[in-house]
Amino acid sequence: MEAPDEALMLAYGGGDAGAFEILYARHRGALFRFVLRGVKQRALAEELYQEIWMRVIEARHGYSPTARFTTWLYTIAHHRLVDHWRRRELAVAADSDVAELSAGAASDPARQAEARESLARFARALEALPHAQREAFLLHEEAGLTAMEIAAVTGSETEAVKSRLRYAVAKLKAAIDHG
Amino acid sequence: MAEPEDDLEVSRRYRELGREEPPSALDARIVAEARCAAETHPASLVAPTGRRRWYFPVAAAAVIVLAVAVTVQLEREQRPDAEAAPPSAPAPELNKDSQTAARPAEPKAPAPAADMAEMRADRQEAGSAAGAPAARAPMQPRNLSSAESAARELERIARLRTEGKHDEADRALAEFRKRYPNYRIPQEMLKRVERR
Repeated sequence: MEAPDEALMLAYGGGDAGAFEILYARHRGALFRFVLRGVKQRALAEELYQEIWMRVIEARHGYSPTARFTTWLYTIAHHRLVDHWRRRELAVAADSDVAELSAGAASDPARQAEARESLARFARALEALPHAQREAFLLHEEAGLTAMEIAAVTGSETEAVKSRLRYAVAKLKAAIDHG
Repeated sequence: MAEPEDDLEVSRRYRELGREEPPSALDARIVAEARCAAETHPASLVAPTGRRRWYFPVAAAAVIVLAVAVTVQLEREQRPDAEAAPPSAPAPELNKDSQTAARPAEPKAPAPAADMAEMRADRQEAGSAAGAPAARAPMQPRNLSSAESAARELERIARLRTEGKHDEADRALAEFRKRYPNYRIPQEMLKRVERR
């Protein structure tokens, strides 16, 4: 049975560096994608991603498992992204490299192009979402947080989070359907 | 985990966007930082926040108050000792109305032999009795010595009288009274040292 995240974080606070490595391995991918799709620039995403983990390291002694570790981790990430968004107005990127990466599996060139275009449209729709809606969607998809947990992370009402999720999903679904 | 807003098609399409991960160099940097922090710095790297914010100022204030209190207490403990210690143990037969008691430069008047014995007894008592004032004992030897020398001088004058050396005895007695102006010569000794 795997040790829960909260126990690992407490162990790390007690000086067990190995516990941190397990914790890091569990969350690195999802957290990175959450940040990357929040800021849409890889170099900046890497910088912010590192800062978030540094804050986790610095706060190791003050950590108390009052909530899920994931909620705590993404609260730190949320605050870091909010800081970033306050300083900088994000431009919606028109093209998407990621679409090309994933659409290459189809064998038929016509279908391949269609799939690529469909995925690019989806990526643009995601990037075009308002910050709050995109963040709620990413927290749900990447971190697996419930609406209530997203509300705790972002300091919002649960109903407001549900509403953001509804709008986000509706816009993304529209981008798929209109392909 | 299923939320009313979940949409499988949207989730699937989102997954197709890719599974980007941080570069391994970045992973290595972060893990190394975490390891270094755990090994080299057990204390928190962040300033205390929230409820812990007041710990340090309060602890510092408590240390200062304690230090001041201890210093004051030590001073108080030392002062009574100094006050308790008599400037010099007064000779039992000193004239009470004498102003010379206030003159520290002058030698203290010695006690006569009879009083000397009493003082010795007192000293022995002081040494043996439990709860006797500790400050008194160290001050006595100097006064006793002074009283002893006065007593010895009076004995010498008395001997001069018995030997018929009255002029010498008169000078010695005058000298004695000059040296020990406050010394009250007991009646018995007075009969022996004064010219008849």
